[in-house]
Amino acid sequence: MKRRTFLRTVGAGGVAGLAGCAGGSGGGGSTSTTESATTQTQTGTTTGMAGGTPELVVATYGAFVDAPSTSPGPWIKETFESEFDATLTFATPDSEINYFIERALQGVEIDADAYVGLNVDMLIRIDDRLDDGLFADVGDVDGRGEVKDGLNFDPQGRIVPYDTSYVSLVYNETMSDDGTFTAPETFDGLLDSEYEGDLLAQNPTGSSTGKSFLLHTIKAKGPDGYLDYWQELQNNDVRVLSDWSSSYTAYSNEEAPMVVSYSTDQVYANREDQDLAKHQIRFLNDQGYAYPEGMSVFRNADNPDLAEQFLEFMLRPEVQGEIAQRNVAFPATTTAELPDDFAEYAQAPPEAVTFTYDALRDNVSEWTQAWERQFASN
Amino acid sequence: MRATLRDHASRAVDRIRAVAGLVESHALALGALATALVLVGVFYYPVATVFVDAIVVDGRPTIEPLVSVLTSRFYLVEIFGFTAYQAFLSTVASVALGLPGAWVLARFEFPGRETLRSLTILPFVMPSIMVAIGFVATFGQNGTLNAVLRALGLPTIELLFTLPAIVVAHAFYNAPLVARVTTAAWESVDASAIETARSLGASPVRAFRDVVLPQLLPAVAVGATLTFVFTFASFPIVLALGGFQLATVEVFIYSRIQNLAYAEAAALAVVETVISLSLTYLYLRYEGRQRAAGQGARPQPRRSLWPESVTSRELGTRLAIVGYAVVVLAVFVVPIASMILTSLTGPQGELSLRHYRFLVERQQTGAAYQVRPLPAIENSLVFGAGTLLVGVPMGVLMAVLTTRDFRGRALVDALSMAPLAVSGIVVGLGLLRGLVFGIEVFGTRITATGAVAIVAAHAVGAYPFVTRNVAPLLGNLDPRLIESARSLGASRVRALLDIELPLVAAGVVAGAAFAFAISIGEFDSTVVLAEGSTSYTMPVAVERYLGRRLGPATAMGCLLLGVTSLSFVVIERFGGRYGRGGF
Repeated sequence: MKRRTFLRTVGAGGVAGLAGCAGGSGGGGSTSTTESATTQTQTGTTTGMAGGTPELVVATYGAFVDAPSTSPGPWIKETFESEFDATLTFATPDSEINYFIERALQGVEIDADAYVGLNVDMLIRIDDRLDDGLFADVGDVDGRGEVKDGLNFDPQGRIVPYDTSYVSLVYNETMSDDGTFTAPETFDGLLDSEYEGDLLAQNPTGSSTGKSFLLHTIKAKGPDGYLDYWQELQNNDVRVLSDWSSSYTAYSNEEAPMVVSYSTDQVYANREDQDLAKHQIRFLNDQGYAYPEGMSVFRNADNPDLAEQFLEFMLRPEVQGEIAQRNVAFPATTTAELPDDFAEYAQAPPEAVTFTYDALRDNVSEWTQAWERQFASN
Repeated sequence: MRATLRDHASRAVDRIRAVAGLVESHALALGALATALVLVGVFYYPVATVFVDAIVVDGRPTIEPLVSVLTSRFYLVEIFGFTAYQAFLSTVASVALGLPGAWVLARFEFPGRETLRSLTILPFVMPSIMVAIGFVATFGQNGTLNAVLRALGLPTIELLFTLPAIVVAHAFYNAPLVARVTTAAWESVDASAIETARSLGASPVRAFRDVVLPQLLPAVAVGATLTFVFTFASFPIVLALGGFQLATVEVFIYSRIQNLAYAEAAALAVVETVISLSLTYLYLRYEGRQRAAGQGARPQPRRSLWPESVTSRELGTRLAIVGYAVVVLAVFVVPIASMILTSLTGPQGELSLRHYRFLVERQQTGAAYQVRPLPAIENSLVFGAGTLLVGVPMGVLMAVLTTRDFRGRALVDALSMAPLAVSGIVVGLGLLRGLVFGIEVFGTRITATGAVAIVAAHAVGAYPFVTRNVAPLLGNLDPRLIESARSLGASRVRALLDIELPLVAAGVVAGAAFAFAISIGEFDSTVVLAEGSTSYTMPVAVERYLGRRLGPATAMGCLLLGVTSLSFVVIERFGGRYGRGGF
């Protein structure tokens, strides 16, 4: 049973190279590792054992466990392990959920129990490509009833939201001659010539802020109007860069006074005692585009019961509060325990908007590709 | 008794000699086989698992994905057309910026010349994130360049988010490549040939045109070809400094793969590869015709950078060098210095070591699933050394094989250059499918990940540089040298090791430098093949430390620059003994 050697190596650290390495020959490119492919028979909870303690493998994105500022991963691992007789192992494949979709497409077994960091785009990709999906129905986990209305993005209840962000504009008041730059209040306002070259946005493919902003324009202008709107936005010199990081770099260097980002921006700015005038939030049309993140249990998880307990753990009021603060996002439940000053810097929009799973599943590829073609043609 | 023992011993020795002789006489064939196995295992097979999606959809062969790309005006004109256009401009800029550098490095003597030549490889290892940060700080509206222009009372420039920004960034990466290969060629020019030309009455300009230029052109051509191929497949830097309106084909391959639209992604990548390989093929045909220019035993003496006499000609030359130094300062030195400054800047803009303290802290308290700086440095160096051990022999071997004359030589040669011409995103997906998931044989899944697989993947990406540095020099060797060695009883390998390699040592060392740099800077296949955070390298750490503040990532980036610079200065000391030129 070496099926989980790779992931255990990540958890245990130190162990260099895989067990079972046959010596490479001929230039050293052909070291092979054999793994038993007959694991289907062993579906009990005893398979994922590391030294007698059950092992829970949680796959997630890198920043959830390894961000330079704060990330919730280490706290979650420590707290979970102190209460449950289990070892929590994080796996952070670089291609995130696509790594597991690929495994399923190629007929290779899934080597994790739970995934943390799912969004509606990922879910649509899974459902489009895999007839049986990737995740189990976890509708009845404790605490699910506490999740705020509107955050549940999976109509089939396989995904449980654990936090949410709102995508908004962040702007820099000091970037005008008299120090009173103000972002426009509406999408139409962005087209004014006074804001020419003032907005930094991101590629919708590969950046959640970029994708959310594009969808927000579709929400505001309609599927028939958003391309015309973007044409005018492009005429007004909007900059669409590769990802959030490169656009925020340019924003921090005051290349432009507005950037598409998260409405929790001031939490970071406050932590680092930065000038809040350079971190003002604007909800266009008084709306913020909701970006909930969810978690679930893989259908063929080795430790499905433990994985469900982990989901319940993540929804507890005190854990929800910690995740929100450490991931700098809003909790998913109504019962989260948060310090009083949390709302002072983490701004929620007057109205949260989003598209439903069904609307996106039918349209999101077309909308995005049409946008790509138009924007790259100019 | 003793006699029998001795008999046994001598028979054993004979047998060992016989085996050794057998190995030696077949060494080239064995080496070729090993190289072929590595190439198939970590390149051709993995890439094929992706490319097949362009011609097989739902289990049925089809040409539909390729036809739909090739008949799309959008893809042909807006994407491939624009991609080729920006690659062409980038190539021109890289050559224009690289050639004066080669001239200064090859023809002038000044303190620190060799160290400077070693450090020209640094841009090669810079993660694109770092280049983007350095460029925004240098060329932005509020960047260093505009601050200087303002102080001088000159009009400011808007470079960011335009095509010129991309072109300059590409020149940042590739001008050093052009400079290095041209420097090596310039240093190989035989001084006596020039003296002969001069004594026969040729003017200096004429002597340069007739003697020096023909030997430089192949080097410039290889630098230009590689630059075009690289910039044709450029990806992160285009969107970070240009923006989506300047999207290249690689942007669309990434987008389609992200959305699991494999048929379209594969079709785009196939067309991209065919274009790059066709260009490489044309270059190789040209390189094949440039044989027998003869290699100099005696290089030209270098001039002092400080003018020896005060003539208008001497002064004009020095003025040109000063002008060039200013451009180099703006394009290379200031962006790197900006990056270092960013790593030393705190949240209120004050000077601070906090980001370096973060690295120390992460090293001390980081969990096993987090990326720690020291293991990243160690991995980078180990993989770099492994790449040298595997990639340099592969490259030399390929150079030996492809400098022989046989039908289809240029085609085989072009295919061996394929690792440079295939989209890095496609290679990454292919390695995931081909090596990480592996193949099932008799109910057992064969996979290959971890250090050995990473080194093999790096070697595949690196060996073409060795080949391209060595092959032209090998082609120039007088074939009679080898023939006489063989007729005196030397095996083919003996002749290669004793006769040819010492004569082309400069090319081997130059290729080795590139191989090491490729390994240090590699990202795409490393993250795919890594077994979790314990096998991550420095560029991966840079990416992982990127957050809202740029400090931690740039601090790691500076560590990457420091470790790489030190490595190259150290290798230079050793390499310098082995072959002149090169590093």
